[in-house]
Amino acid sequence: MKYPNITFESLFGWVNRPRILYSPGIRSEVGFEMSQLGGKKAVIYTDKGLVAAGIAEMVAEEVRKSDLELVGIFDSIVQDARIDIINAGAAFYRKCGADCMIVVGGGSVMDTAKAINIMIGGGNEDFQPLADQAGLCDGAKPLPPHIAFPTTAGTGCEVTSAMVVLDTNAHAKLQVTHPYCNADLAMLDPELTVKLPAKITAFTGMDALTHAIEGITSTGAEPIADALGLHAIRLIFKYLPIAVKNPEDITARGHMLIASSLAGMCFGNTMTGGVHATAHALGALYGIPHGLANAIMLPIVMDYNVKDAAERYTMIADAMGIDVTGKKPVEAAKMAVKAVVSLKNKIGLTETLQDFKVPKDREKLMPLVELASADGQVSYNPHYLEDEDILNLYMKAI
Amino acid sequence: MEFWKDPNECVTAVVRLFEDCGKDPELREGLRKVNQLILFDYTESGPDCSIWVDCRNGNYKVSQGKPSEEPDLTMSLSADDAHRSWSNKLNPVMAITRKKIRVKGSAVGLLKLAPKLKKVAVIYEKSLTDLGWADKIMK
Repeated sequence: MKYPNITFESLFGWVNRPRILYSPGIRSEVGFEMSQLGGKKAVIYTDKGLVAAGIAEMVAEEVRKSDLELVGIFDSIVQDARIDIINAGAAFYRKCGADCMIVVGGGSVMDTAKAINIMIGGGNEDFQPLADQAGLCDGAKPLPPHIAFPTTAGTGCEVTSAMVVLDTNAHAKLQVTHPYCNADLAMLDPELTVKLPAKITAFTGMDALTHAIEGITSTGAEPIADALGLHAIRLIFKYLPIAVKNPEDITARGHMLIASSLAGMCFGNTMTGGVHATAHALGALYGIPHGLANAIMLPIVMDYNVKDAAERYTMIADAMGIDVTGKKPVEAAKMAVKAVVSLKNKIGLTETLQDFKVPKDREKLMPLVELASADGQVSYNPHYLEDEDILNLYMKAI
Repeated sequence: MEFWKDPNECVTAVVRLFEDCGKDPELREGLRKVNQLILFDYTESGPDCSIWVDCRNGNYKVSQGKPSEEPDLTMSLSADDAHRSWSNKLNPVMAITRKKIRVKGSAVGLLKLAPKLKKVAVIYEKSLTDLGWADKIMK
């Protein structure tokens, strides 16, 4: 398709961190790469699921073979980057006498590690006051060496300069930004993802797709991010169904890891929108995994937005492989929505919010609406979302 | 300064804005939930260029200058960026990442109101017009 008439904000910023290295088996280079960053004593941050599956050991083994000293493995990270666990992770780093971190995991692990590294760099004992500030940019300095191995495809957390942490007391997800919190080096090794179960492959893939779509339709969208987001969509539409069906297909797994990083670089610079605002609230109040919440809300929010970003959704439809020749923008945009629903069915994601006991009751949905309407991402949605709009979105998703 | 004749103009406009916001039930309720003593510190544009808003414990008071107590939250920026911000022309998240806005204290509560900036901008335009400063409205 010919490039449509697309506008964007006359002032935008672009940041491109970290370095990325990709290859099946690239984990064998972790010792060398960390030595280049100045690290000598490494803690591995991961979770018990990855330890049990042997994934963490695949990286630990390479660390032990190298000149790096493996001084500890912290595997207590659970779903969501919880402030209490962040604090414990920082205490562990200090107790082990570490000077660098290697992170093996999905979004929760990577975001937890980012927060830990901020505390180590700043000499902080408690992350709560840092989380409360939201933006940790003033006076920010580079942090201790940090290499990340994403094991889902995914959140893109290895490349984003923000993290979402869970304040378990307030039952709220807080978004925190620090210019150096993302990894110094993201090592994309698809061999670490082959054991990821089909369901998790599916909804983490939808998380990446949501990042790309929302990054392109965000009110902060701009051409550099568009280029990355659109290519992420091409890769996801081709390779996600393959990765779900044939988990050991390294080509598919590899392309999904790349797509996830591309989508992360996209939305990391442009923000997201209504899908993420509503999904964060679902995660905070109902414990729905982030990727799954995104997957449920994505087609519903897209449908709501079509008239406000029709040209952008047309580009998205084109990237999905839909023939948009001769189609009016709103018509092409609606085809993109249908394509998302079709993809979800193909990869076995048929859940609604009802499956997670979210009540179809306007009054009982108000805590969700209140959280979503205050979420930092909501104002980037192309269609300005009032509380009534958000309520209607949730009602449609149940 | 690009938008203000002197720092006092900025202070007058922002005090008036918060007085007018206090009359809007939705914004008043939003600020009640913030429940903080907030200092908007524009002193990089002039020594007396600041305003404070006390919305603690159901109260609502706005005044120029600095409060007698330590604020719960201080947002520091220039008077011109304040004008852009209240006009919804300066994205607060981007401004924080660019260090155009420096934050001291807990910003979580106030940033929850960031989605309401579109509404605040409408009120700000009216405040400026009522003050005879319609020429300052950013298009």
